Amino acid sequence: MACSPLEQFAIIPLIPIHIGNLYLSFTPKVYMEQKKTFFFPYQPNSSLFMLLTISLVLLLVSFVTLNGGHPVPNAWQSFVEIIYDFVPNLVNEQISGASSMKQRFFPFIFVTFTFLLFCNLIGMIPYSFTVTSHFIITLGLSLSLFIGITIVGFQTHGLHFFSLLLPQGVPLPLAPFLVLLELISYRFRALSLGIRLFANMMAGHSLVKILSGFAWTMLSMGGIMYLAHLAPFLIVFALTGLELGVAILQAYVFTILICIYLNDAINLH
Amino acid sequence: MLEGAKLVNIGAGAATIALAGAAVGIGNVFSIALKGNTKITPIQPHSVARNPSLAKQLFGYAILGFALTEAIALFALMMAFLILFVF
Repeated sequence: MACSPLEQFAIIPLIPIHIGNLYLSFTPKVYMEQKKTFFFPYQPNSSLFMLLTISLVLLLVSFVTLNGGHPVPNAWQSFVEIIYDFVPNLVNEQISGASSMKQRFFPFIFVTFTFLLFCNLIGMIPYSFTVTSHFIITLGLSLSLFIGITIVGFQTHGLHFFSLLLPQGVPLPLAPFLVLLELISYRFRALSLGIRLFANMMAGHSLVKILSGFAWTMLSMGGIMYLAHLAPFLIVFALTGLELGVAILQAYVFTILICIYLNDAINLH
Repeated sequence: MLEGAKLVNIGAGAATIALAGAAVGIGNVFSIALKGNTKITPIQPHSVARNPSLAKQLFGYAILGFALTEAIALFALMMAFLILFVF
């Protein structure tokens, strides 16, 4: 009956699709070392929750903007307005240059921020599934965004884009070594963006799961432990608040780093 | 070696010592944002304590610094989990 706290991250396929040798499915199966011996009555699915997130966001935005919205906003409209006001500030602040150039990227950054925010927040609901707590999802997102930013850089500057790798005022003997180092650092950005989000989400959820396992074990032991189980329970309570903050913060940090990398690509240093 | 102490478990435990450095770093970020560093900038108002009108902008930088430093902490934690669950 021993189960690890990492089992909450298992993905079970709903609709398997076989195309030749490829095993695509509506929720791609992730093979993990699982030690569980009993059947979860609830099976989380990755693609299902991504679909749920996007449909929730679209429903929210469409209901709020029905008939142009109220002049005095109610709570839901205020929430959407806060997000819609917050993201252009990020874009304008980080990317310096012509306004038309900046506003080209606003829809893409808005979608990234809102998708990550809602994915993280929906994962905080008990018994729900956190889409971004899987490395393949955050790595896929960060890698594709990174390739897109590099393409934008090449489109804007042509081959002069490689001058990103050599900072100004560097003595010539040092240059080849520095270019190599900058190249490695540039490629590491894609990886670190994905790892940061994944590790934050996974570590937070695993921690909450481990501590609530303590609380449950203490509760079922009886005796003095029946009272003392409140200690890990209160820590879980505080940690859930922290995890809500981290969910919002990580979406913000992902987005602002994408803006900074875009700024690097468009305005070379 | 002790009975029941696999080397993998010892390695994973040793790997989490790296989080101490990350904790010091995060403390530094917020402390300098709030109170400043009197050894390097003795009189300039570069902190919230000396220039409260910078609170909003400095808070933004502090949060960015915190998230980037925490990423290093999580790289270390990821290594610990990698050692524990893959090897």
